[in-house]
Amino acid sequence: MAKTYDYLFKLLLIGDSGVGKTCVLFRFSEDAFNTTFISTIGIDFKIRTIDLDGKKIKLQIWDTAGQERFRTITTAYYRGAMGIMLVYDITNEKSFENIKNWIRNIEENASADVEKMLLGNKCELEEKRQVSRERGEQLAIEYGIKFIETSAKASIRVEEAFFTLARDIKTKMEKKLKEASNPPKGGHQLRASEPQKKPTSWLSRCTLL
Amino acid sequence: MPDCSEYYQTEISEGRNKRVIKCKFCSSVILTPSSASFTRLEVRKYICLNLIIFHVTMYEPVIIIYKLPHIRQTKGSESDPETEDIIHFWAVEDMMTFYNVGFSNTVGNTKYLTCADCEAGPIGYHDIPSKMSYVALSRVLHSNSTEKN
Repeated sequence: MAKTYDYLFKLLLIGDSGVGKTCVLFRFSEDAFNTTFISTIGIDFKIRTIDLDGKKIKLQIWDTAGQERFRTITTAYYRGAMGIMLVYDITNEKSFENIKNWIRNIEENASADVEKMLLGNKCELEEKRQVSRERGEQLAIEYGIKFIETSAKASIRVEEAFFTLARDIKTKMEKKLKEASNPPKGGHQLRASEPQKKPTSWLSRCTLL
Repeated sequence: MPDCSEYYQTEISEGRNKRVIKCKFCSSVILTPSSASFTRLEVRKYICLNLIIFHVTMYEPVIIIYKLPHIRQTKGSESDPETEDIIHFWAVEDMMTFYNVGFSNTVGNTKYLTCADCEAGPIGYHDIPSKMSYVALSRVLHSNSTEKN
């Protein structure tokens, strides 16, 4: 059968335990007497399809599956990863401080050109906030990566976050392909500036890009 | 729970799924039309007949009933989950054919399939040795619209 997609990106979610990496908008309900079969086993990865500028993109998204409890994630886990979502919990100072450790871990284990993005999750819990948005922005600037505040629970901007990361990987990949087929022959090369993403609506919704 | 093929005939076109396959609980799109093939799991059961002069080997197809764990389990049944017998599946050769889906951690040779959005499942299973995935017809919704409603 013909391939049903244009690109396949492997993405990882990384961050401390309890930051809500696996939290989704709606969990199949559990009560005092019943448990769900899947929640007992746990989810390994998900496949999602998105449409980006007319291209079908498959995202294979992996969670650390509790490995992060040991504070180290092995090289095997990072193998082939093209994008990493660094997730902290805005109501948990420690999870934010640990982002630096996670970045170090990525630098030591992952491929150098992996796209990264910082996610401040649980932004629906404003009254419990310990990490200001400005600090998140500042950290992202320091590492030269994008930042967005999300609420996986209330399904706020999670999709945007994945679209942004996927778009950055796609742009990088297409640039590489172009350079490979058309290597620069010395001198200066003029390149049209990348189209700006519409920043207006995103800014008004407690995020920075 | 009846799992009769007559009911599903209208969903099959040239052996494949005619309509969009969605999650029953949240309508997340799992498979787009014509991306999976209708399957009844079968094995060949060999029958040896030792007649006086001939030795005849015959076989007849035997339908496999897959014991798919229930979505909801009674607490305490984790080690021995309650199951439902399933015969009819949508077979998917390449896991990347799925539009949206979740894969559980491995249990034996199997990874169970779930909805990628609400994580309801198992809606089917993935067989690691053959790399085939099977979605139970009775655990998904067949719909004309790709819209998530």
